[in-house]
Amino acid sequence: MTGGARGAGRLGLGLTLVVFVACLAISLAFGPASLPLDKLLEYIGAGPGTSEPGGVIFWQIRLPRVLLAFIVGAALAVAGVILQDLFLNPLTDPYVTGVSSGAALGATVGIVLGLAMLPWVTALALAGGFATLAVVWVAARRRGRIDIYVLLLAGVTISYLVTAVISVLMIRAGEDMSAIVYWLLGSFSGRGWEEVQVALLVLPIMVVPLFFTNEMDIMLQGEKRALELGVEVERAKRVLLIVAAALTAIAVSVSGVIGFVGLVVPHVVRLLVGPSHRRLLPIALLGGAALMGIADLLSRTLVAPAEVPVGVVTTFVGAPLFIYLLRRRRS
Amino acid sequence: MGAALISVREVGFSYEVRPVLRRVSFEVARGDFVGVVGPNGSGKSTLLDLIDGVLRPGSGEVLVAGRRTDAYRRREMAREVALVPQHFALDFDLTVRDVVEMGAYCRPGAAAADDAERTLARLGVSDLSERRFSQLSGGEKQLVVLAQALMQRAQVLLLDEPASALDVSHQLRLFDLLRELNGEGLTVLCVLHDLNLALHYFQKLLIFSEGEVAAYGLPEEVLRPEVVEAVYGVRAFLHKHAGRTYLTFSPRPRGRRLGRVHVICGGGTGSGLLRELVDAGYDVSAGVLNALDSDEDTGRELGLPMAVEAPFSPVGDEAHAENLALIEAADLVVVTAVPVSHGNERNITAALYAVAAGKPVFAAAGLPDVDFTGVTRTLEGAGIRLYADTGEVRAALDELRATSGASPADVGDADGLA
Repeated sequence: MTGGARGAGRLGLGLTLVVFVACLAISLAFGPASLPLDKLLEYIGAGPGTSEPGGVIFWQIRLPRVLLAFIVGAALAVAGVILQDLFLNPLTDPYVTGVSSGAALGATVGIVLGLAMLPWVTALALAGGFATLAVVWVAARRRGRIDIYVLLLAGVTISYLVTAVISVLMIRAGEDMSAIVYWLLGSFSGRGWEEVQVALLVLPIMVVPLFFTNEMDIMLQGEKRALELGVEVERAKRVLLIVAAALTAIAVSVSGVIGFVGLVVPHVVRLLVGPSHRRLLPIALLGGAALMGIADLLSRTLVAPAEVPVGVVTTFVGAPLFIYLLRRRRS
Repeated sequence: MGAALISVREVGFSYEVRPVLRRVSFEVARGDFVGVVGPNGSGKSTLLDLIDGVLRPGSGEVLVAGRRTDAYRRREMAREVALVPQHFALDFDLTVRDVVEMGAYCRPGAAAADDAERTLARLGVSDLSERRFSQLSGGEKQLVVLAQALMQRAQVLLLDEPASALDVSHQLRLFDLLRELNGEGLTVLCVLHDLNLALHYFQKLLIFSEGEVAAYGLPEEVLRPEVVEAVYGVRAFLHKHAGRTYLTFSPRPRGRRLGRVHVICGGGTGSGLLRELVDAGYDVSAGVLNALDSDEDTGRELGLPMAVEAPFSPVGDEAHAENLALIEAADLVVVTAVPVSHGNERNITAALYAVAAGKPVFAAAGLPDVDFTGVTRTLEGAGIRLYADTGEVRAALDELRATSGASPADVGDADGLA
């Protein structure tokens, strides 16, 4: 990387951090009950034991929900970067591997069985996600290597199959049907510290791809060229696939299936800072978190006290932004 | 044997069921400069992938620096062998410098940035370093990928048709550079299609044919016309010109005999026509020519039957008789605009002989202008056709074949005599 590019990268990261912190503060401050910004520090200082009404809202409702949104947004964005680059396919998102469908099936089974509470829903969603990955993995394995195109096709196929199974379960679910639909749409509503604890698992996992930035850069030239330049391509693919699947499964298990962030954030960030992963990964992580935080804020304030599904908001925010950036780049 | 840097031993390889290489064995010593040639689909690129360990042999083994390629980690292999692939796709917006620096991946801790600058400078493309790779021309990309490969600091450099996207100046610069790097100890194995480049630049050539080694050795020894003909299925001719040896090629004649043409020429007036007729698949003879005459050179390089006289000597009885015999065997005779003097006026006599023998005879329209004897006037009333362009001769040959069926040699006397 050149001095100039390195400077630009640092500037980009700095700017993203500023945006990230601003989004975090705004997300914490606003909601059905607005908390004044200058009081936030006070609440934080007072600790979770506070009995002041604002402090209780902050600690028991607002903070866990905002943290969860930020963590899920970060996880989906990082998974999106990994998968788009692994598949060398710009239309890839964390959901094409079938992992999210599998996780959704797990959660649906949980709801049908009357286990719609922690830790069961999360455990079943994780199990469903990883079981799907295993199936897709076996389908794509050939002479000791993972055929990435077979993986993509198998993932999409499995997604359809699993979705069909979910539909059957929904039809038979009777009064649980609305619970399933609500869960599938994805939401941070009513989520608390238990979900945050589960979601925190993604933090150490998100660190792993940061050790593979060189490999990921080189693999943009295709697997064969990466092999020629000395990359253990199969090992890198295995690690990165498992990382992406784990991030996706965990995210889905605590929040349902929230679309668009994992597809668009990597593109937006790539347009802004280029494809080099040393910059792309951390900025996409912060950007995904910030976007999801703002989306959740809008979802709970636009028609308060009712909520707009957060997946709808991510799309409404993300789509125009993406189109704008694509056009700007063309000219 | 232990000195070989690359040993390919009895290697067989198939994609699925299609065999690509069959029992290939050869060795490359440290510091060798080897060109690999062969028809499309003969297994050259596969061979490079096998040496680099990207592919594993189905049978046999490949050793690099005495160690089987499958015993290498990829990073170790990248420090031994660098490869410049034929095709290179990168659709992302990386700068040239980013791309070049990736070559240093196999050397952790290397000062990649400085090395990248130096490597680009060495290839004479420092100005590209800030450009986007995806916006470069094909030739520029080729040089950048070479720079990337050189960043590996490997002792072996494999190249797969590096010249195919380059203009002639970049081509020569590339091969000169490869030779220079080879002089500094780099072992080079380069697949290429241009047999003349192969002939001029490389110390050794490996000729591949249908997945087997057809020949391996010094360029002049292995690129003999008969080897080229067997491997590529074309006729090949060696020419010496301006101190170098060149190969030129003609399509292989398609079974059927097209007919035989005798060309009376000299002083370079016939070379183009001789080659044109050979390329078109005719049997061609020429005479009488003086030895060392440039038409005589051409005829010799094309392997034509000729009536030849000693240098700077007038046409003697023996050469003249030979010329008449060649005319007898021909279906058509052409006289080029060869300057006629007392030394070669017998060639005009030979043309008249051809007319008398019932052969169609064509003479260049410019012939009388270069006649210093006046002897060509005798041709005027004899029924000779003048041509301004060799296309007219070709048309007459086509006509001849059409009217006479399979054997133009049987054409009746009437044709040439008006």
